[in-house]
Amino acid sequence: MSMHHDTPIATSSRAGKYLTFFLAGEEYGLEILKVSEIIGMQPITRVPRMPEFVRGVINLRGKVIPITDLRKKFHMEPEGSDDSCIIVVQMTGVQTGIVVDRVSEVVAIAGADIEDAPSFGAGIHTEFLLGIGKAGGRVKLLLDIDKVLVTSELEALQAAQSHGA
Amino acid sequence: MAHLTLDDAATLLLQLEASDTADLTKLRDALTDLAFENRVPQRAQPFVARAARVLGTIISGNTPDAAVAFTEVSEAIEEAMRLCDASATSSAAPVATMPVAATLVAVTPQTTRVPTPAMAAEPSRSAQHEIGSDQLPEDKDLLPDFITESHEYVAASEAALLRLEENPTDEEAVNTVFRAFHTVKGTSAFLGLSRIAAFAHEAESLLSRVREKEISYARGCADLSLRAVDMLSALLGAVVTALGADGRIPLPAGYHELLDAIASYDPALHANGVSRPTPSADAERGDIRAEISPVNAQASASVSGSANAAPSSAAATAATAARQARGEANTDATIRVRTDRLDRLIDMVGELVIAQSMIAGDELFGTGKAHELLRKVTHSGKIVRELQDLSMSMRMVPLRATFQKLARVVRDTAVKAGKTVQFVTEGEDVEIDRTLVDILGDPLVHMVRNAVDHGVEGPADRAKVGKSNTGTVRLSAYHASGNVVVELIDDGRGLYREQLVAKAIEKGLIESDKNMSDSDVFALIFAPGFSTAEKVTDISGRGVGMDVVRRNLESIRGRVDITSAPGQGTTFAIRLPLTLAITDGMIVRVGQERFIVPLTHIHMSFRPEPSMLSTVVGHGEVVLLRGELMPIVRLHRLFDVSDAVQSPLEGLLMIVGDGNRRTALLVDELLGQQQVVAKTLGAALGKVPGVSGGAILGDGRVGLILDVNETVALAQTDAITPLTRDRDRQRDVAA
Repeated sequence: MSMHHDTPIATSSRAGKYLTFFLAGEEYGLEILKVSEIIGMQPITRVPRMPEFVRGVINLRGKVIPITDLRKKFHMEPEGSDDSCIIVVQMTGVQTGIVVDRVSEVVAIAGADIEDAPSFGAGIHTEFLLGIGKAGGRVKLLLDIDKVLVTSELEALQAAQSHGA
Repeated sequence: MAHLTLDDAATLLLQLEASDTADLTKLRDALTDLAFENRVPQRAQPFVARAARVLGTIISGNTPDAAVAFTEVSEAIEEAMRLCDASATSSAAPVATMPVAATLVAVTPQTTRVPTPAMAAEPSRSAQHEIGSDQLPEDKDLLPDFITESHEYVAASEAALLRLEENPTDEEAVNTVFRAFHTVKGTSAFLGLSRIAAFAHEAESLLSRVREKEISYARGCADLSLRAVDMLSALLGAVVTALGADGRIPLPAGYHELLDAIASYDPALHANGVSRPTPSADAERGDIRAEISPVNAQASASVSGSANAAPSSAAATAATAARQARGEANTDATIRVRTDRLDRLIDMVGELVIAQSMIAGDELFGTGKAHELLRKVTHSGKIVRELQDLSMSMRMVPLRATFQKLARVVRDTAVKAGKTVQFVTEGEDVEIDRTLVDILGDPLVHMVRNAVDHGVEGPADRAKVGKSNTGTVRLSAYHASGNVVVELIDDGRGLYREQLVAKAIEKGLIESDKNMSDSDVFALIFAPGFSTAEKVTDISGRGVGMDVVRRNLESIRGRVDITSAPGQGTTFAIRLPLTLAITDGMIVRVGQERFIVPLTHIHMSFRPEPSMLSTVVGHGEVVLLRGELMPIVRLHRLFDVSDAVQSPLEGLLMIVGDGNRRTALLVDELLGQQQVVAKTLGAALGKVPGVSGGAILGDGRVGLILDVNETVALAQTDAITPLTRDRDRQRDVAA
């Protein structure tokens, strides 16, 4: 199984505040420093010839940003809810939106409460996880959003190239 | 501040070895300072200068025996010290007469140098500075600003040097260049870029000699100064390279040679550089003018006046030039703003316009009850629109800088090709979008080079056909119907239709010129691999071909038209949009989705009759319009839109593309024409096939802008290899 090669470094830096949200009944966490804002669901313009998890693009106050659907990304059943919203994340100057079912809260998780992701059974690829955190008696899957989105970008590119070929 | 004295120099020299290049450079610079800033008696100056020169050969490794060279340096310094002592004991003034005037003229050298880390005053400290001189300094934050600023100085110096060539007595021009090098020297030393500092110092010394009238600005000096400007530009480029790489600053080719050449420049030794007092100076100046006379006709006329020994007119010209220079400085008063901030501002203003129109369109006003509020909303709408115009204009820059660079290109090309060319520019104040300026530069350089090298004839040929010796290349810019037109006109030999046709047939580009208009034939020179030049020179042989010129111009939605008459010259008219940011687009509906098709690509739209449609085996659906068969591309199929009109009879066909590759796009309907601000879809998406970007539509949603050429290409590849993708995949409808 693929495990974190940089586990020791990751452990020390994993403690901190996380924005948690729900996706298909599970609670996930996102490093708060990566989050630039949360916006309500809004009309998404589909972009043709893109992989399914790329929902399209939206107008964020004059800026066009792409939207990734995490349910589709993690191969979950599609299901829109009224609470659905978009979390805008900032990674190395690039803004991207992710669609989640419902935003929950911001929690501080201590390093001791974060364990490495088990190599099985988590439902999503463990390579997307920073670890598993415990807070408020619940377990939260802490996402490594850079990996999630970078992979989607690569796949999108590959998809585009295979169509173009 | 404490300057290095000869005693210091002698002490320092004892401690150094031939391998201490960095410190030797410092020492040499210090000595050069001493020699040219008149801090030693005039009689001692040649010895100090000699010491500096020999040190230069040690540094560059050009000396056969370093030990002998060292001895030579120390002897020269000793001799200088002896002369110093002698003049100190005698009652003679230790400093020559000239420098008094020089210090009066000089606004800068002694005062502004104080805050910068000394070049030479503190040898021990600067020695530390020098370790790893080809490495970037620790603090990189200030470098980008420094580079931008220095590039501006480079451009200004280049312009000033060319002005100086026109009028060698233009003191303001000398001062401009001097100040440029001086400022760059100071800043680079402060930033720890010792190589640039050292180089700028040499160049500055050369200019200060011109400024103090020690040498006159003649041909040799002009070339050297221009090369120095080029080298400075190359050094800055090297820093940029280093910033992008591991921090090692590469050494530009020819650096040491040029440094030596500048350091040892002696008008007497350079055949072309004739020092001021000799009677041939005027003749020499006249010579330059005959060789090439760039920039504007008015100035060159006054130079010929000065060549005829009319000192008052020369002085008048210098004064005018100085006034002009000051005027330019005033109009160019600017604040540098990061482009991403500017883009963000434009984005926000665009949003404001949309938000405002949403308020104005609110149904509350439809009821007719809120007159007072409506009046206020309308008023704010006016302000918002004005704000939008203003924010758009902020990206615009004048073409002046681009044109100035070309003056240099004309000069260099003309000198190399042995031609006499006058370069006239008009409309430098015409403004276009910043991004366009950057892309326009290269094609223009190439076209101007071509005009000088191939267009304008040599003096002998010109005389034969009764033209004046001096060829003219005219570059003008003006506004025409919402576009900017840049015209390049030469009065050279022009294009010969028969020659072009013969060449094109020989190259297999065309079969015959039947039905081809003159402009069609002339446009052949843009075909790849097409060159009519009889000889390939290093001027036109290198660089890009005309096909690349056209491709570059097309990438900024420009168009080139050529008109020419044999023997009369050629005109290239480049038509450019004012800005790339705004696209005139047609909004089309396909199913529930909207796309924006750039208006420039659309020829016409129509609803076909059944008789016009047919299916050709191997080519798919085609439409026959006025005898022309065009393939039909179903946008809904290409972009996987499920609920679109299926039959062309119910939708619209939009004819796009150019020449013989026209294509009909099937869309549901046209929603209207709109100016849209093109934006990228974000780096996270990468390149989306068939889509060039997005734009915010009137309702605040994003519309995708079609890349027409790519869409057509996409349809062709799809036709060959049918989509392997799952067509039936569920479309997600936005919540």
